[in-house]
Amino acid sequence: MSIALDQVTKRYQSVPVVNDVSLKIEQGEFLVLLGPSGSGKSTLLRAIAGLTEIDHGRVSLHGRDVTGVSARDREVGFVFQHYALFRHMTVANNIEFALRVRGVRAAERRARRKELLRLVALEGMDDRLPSELSGGQQQRVAVARALAHRPQVLLMDEPFGALDAKIREELRRTIRQIQRELGIATILVTHDQEEAFALADRIGVMHQGRLLECGPPDDLYTRPATRFVATFLGAANLLLGYRTPDGVRFMPPAHDDAPPREVVAVLRPEEVELAAQSGALRSNLVGYAEVQEVLFAGSSERLRVRMLEDGPVPVAPGSDDATSSVLEVSRTLPEQRDLPVAVGGRVAVGARRIHVLPTPISSFTVVAADARQAQVLRDSPIVATLAARMVTRVSTRLQRGETPPPGMPVVATGSGSAAMVEWQLRHGATQLLCMPPAAPVPTHVVIFAPDALVRDATFAVAASLLRHIPAETIYLAIHPESTPQQSRGACLRELLDARTAALTRHGLDMRTETRFGDVGPELLRELLAHDQTTLVLGIADLDRLDWRHLADLLEGAVQRPLLIVRPAAASGAGGGP
Amino acid sequence: MAAGFRKPSVLPGFGLTLGFTTFFLSALVLLPLAALVFKTSSLSWQAFFEIMLDERAVASYRLTFGAALLAAVVNAVFGFIVAWSLVRYDFPGRRLLDAVIDLPFALPTAVSGIALATVFSPSGWLGQKLALANVQVAYTWIGVVVALILIGLPFVVRSVQPALVEVQRDLEDAAETLGASPWQVFRRIVLPAVMPALLTGFTLAFARGIGEYGSVVFISGNLPYQTEITPLLIVIKLEQYDYEGAAALGFIMLVMSFVMLFAINLVQAWGRRRQAAAGR
Repeated sequence: MSIALDQVTKRYQSVPVVNDVSLKIEQGEFLVLLGPSGSGKSTLLRAIAGLTEIDHGRVSLHGRDVTGVSARDREVGFVFQHYALFRHMTVANNIEFALRVRGVRAAERRARRKELLRLVALEGMDDRLPSELSGGQQQRVAVARALAHRPQVLLMDEPFGALDAKIREELRRTIRQIQRELGIATILVTHDQEEAFALADRIGVMHQGRLLECGPPDDLYTRPATRFVATFLGAANLLLGYRTPDGVRFMPPAHDDAPPREVVAVLRPEEVELAAQSGALRSNLVGYAEVQEVLFAGSSERLRVRMLEDGPVPVAPGSDDATSSVLEVSRTLPEQRDLPVAVGGRVAVGARRIHVLPTPISSFTVVAADARQAQVLRDSPIVATLAARMVTRVSTRLQRGETPPPGMPVVATGSGSAAMVEWQLRHGATQLLCMPPAAPVPTHVVIFAPDALVRDATFAVAASLLRHIPAETIYLAIHPESTPQQSRGACLRELLDARTAALTRHGLDMRTETRFGDVGPELLRELLAHDQTTLVLGIADLDRLDWRHLADLLEGAVQRPLLIVRPAAASGAGGGP
Repeated sequence: MAAGFRKPSVLPGFGLTLGFTTFFLSALVLLPLAALVFKTSSLSWQAFFEIMLDERAVASYRLTFGAALLAAVVNAVFGFIVAWSLVRYDFPGRRLLDAVIDLPFALPTAVSGIALATVFSPSGWLGQKLALANVQVAYTWIGVVVALILIGLPFVVRSVQPALVEVQRDLEDAAETLGASPWQVFRRIVLPAVMPALLTGFTLAFARGIGEYGSVVFISGNLPYQTEITPLLIVIKLEQYDYEGAAALGFIMLVMSFVMLFAINLVQAWGRRRQAAAGR
């Protein structure tokens, strides 16, 4: 293992910018850390180099724990975005710097310098000053300089950021070649996905300080696990679909006892098929659409089509506003020749291949007594933030209906809410968000799941929530006061198991705490300890549930947002309506 | 526009500003200096050399130039440290300290001199303590140096500060990842980048030290042959209506200052050239 990171965390003014990142990189592997600016990727890279101290976690290089070791003793090569060449030194002196400070003899230094200049294709430039070189050449010098002391790890922080497109591509090829030739473990940080695809053996996508997913480029592209990775790596249409016995469909299924199971599907623009009639489609029909925009892009054609309400109703991402049901389409030139379309034309839209995200939270439906209250809930900080960050739909339902809505129902806490929550749960709702409309976005999330049966589903929902809201997370285990001293050790073991499960299965890292006492009061106490707290509550058996405690949480003097998770598997045991 | 001048900038008024520059330089700098030379030239060569090589005058040159040089060196070191801490660290009162640096600029120099003399006199706060260690500052050459350090400090700090801000953190980080120790980072990366500004600050402090009068006369004690600076000697000659003698001493100071500043400029230019040609 060349580089091993274990729960690396870095905070600035108590806000985590790198949040529990664990990662392993093999000898000779090229990893690209990809993320938008501010996602913490550069900070993580600096932490590996030792230029930034970390608050928590461990960094190992070649099996050596270097967490407390200074940058100069870590033996890494670091390439900066703006080259960071020593302007008062020639190319030769720049490259030899690492050897000079190590007291290497002049002859040896010269031989190494010649070798490196050949490697970066800058032979004969020894005596130039950095100011006499082009940007691309300067970055080549910087790469050569970073490799002079034969580091075992090469770290590059947006090395092509300041270069124009053509030179960038050329330098990219050089770097890939050098990296292969030296077999050196390399991490490159960038926000450019094209660059990531061109260079990486593996891509790690970072967002809000977390490493969301890490894997081979084609895996991440075809089978992303999160909305963010799906939309950040290449273009993607996120669609809401329904899981039916025949596979995922985009029309709501016929009336049924249970609420339809909603899923989030990724439809890549190049997987969209357009046809004049639905009969001419060779793939599954998504719906009909009107062509809104046609752009010729050289080797392909890009279109935007707006889904129409007549015919099968498509469910496109976004809230109910105008941009919500627009699909991005990309067609090859032969496809374009077969069916030329013009703006305003009507087409049938099919999906050749979709990928269903394993995310448990699909969409939100506000359930309220009147339109005004519904609007208040829609505009509440939590719903608005989550919908925007998840790029998902928020619908409204003023009547309760026969069955709970698909996705996540949202109800207001307060008097009468306990009855509503009970009805939703008893009629098959698997998740439910209850909150005071003015509740702020949480900075503190408490997770509680009464038994192992619901724990996994609870973690899945909590992980999905926490991917979109950076908050401190604490998993609470509550055992009866009467638990004998000798079995309290087992409680602790169970807690550690839970933590491992959350981390490995859902990428969710959290603190854990054990309490001894009654569930209701203990939960209430924990919720009142912080202002901006949200509880993620797993519920197993509706008949054994203490509804009085739940009513306390929902209708008590101080109400906190409550995300109830009741896995579908548990509903059989719990008894439906 | 006359050929041979550099092409004027987009701002108008090239002719006007050049005219002003020439006029003010002539009226305020060159003309008085010419008068000084003219007045001196009324002396015979023998009289001139007599004044120049007078034992009391020679002792004053030594003190004036020696103390100014020593003070400038001290300021170069400590001024750099002050500038460093102002630029690189954030601490409570940093802005206040930053403002205090300029005080010697604004204070009448006589006030500084009287204050120093009070503090360092054998009965003053610091003078008492130093007397125990058998060190006397006030009314000795050390007092002169102390006064000149006070006067020269802002020149160094204000010259070095912007240059330090310019040194990119990236450069130091790069040197660190390449294995340089903190001292090596300083010696090979930071210092070369700041050197031109430091030399400028040194030169300004030195030049100011040579010409300083107000603060020094109060703390030096003005003992002939011992703690008497050349500017004071000139004033003494003026008070005795010995205008030619005063002009001659002034002329000598003018020449010596010019030679020294010119030499420093040469060193600076040489440094720049050497840097540009390094390794070529």
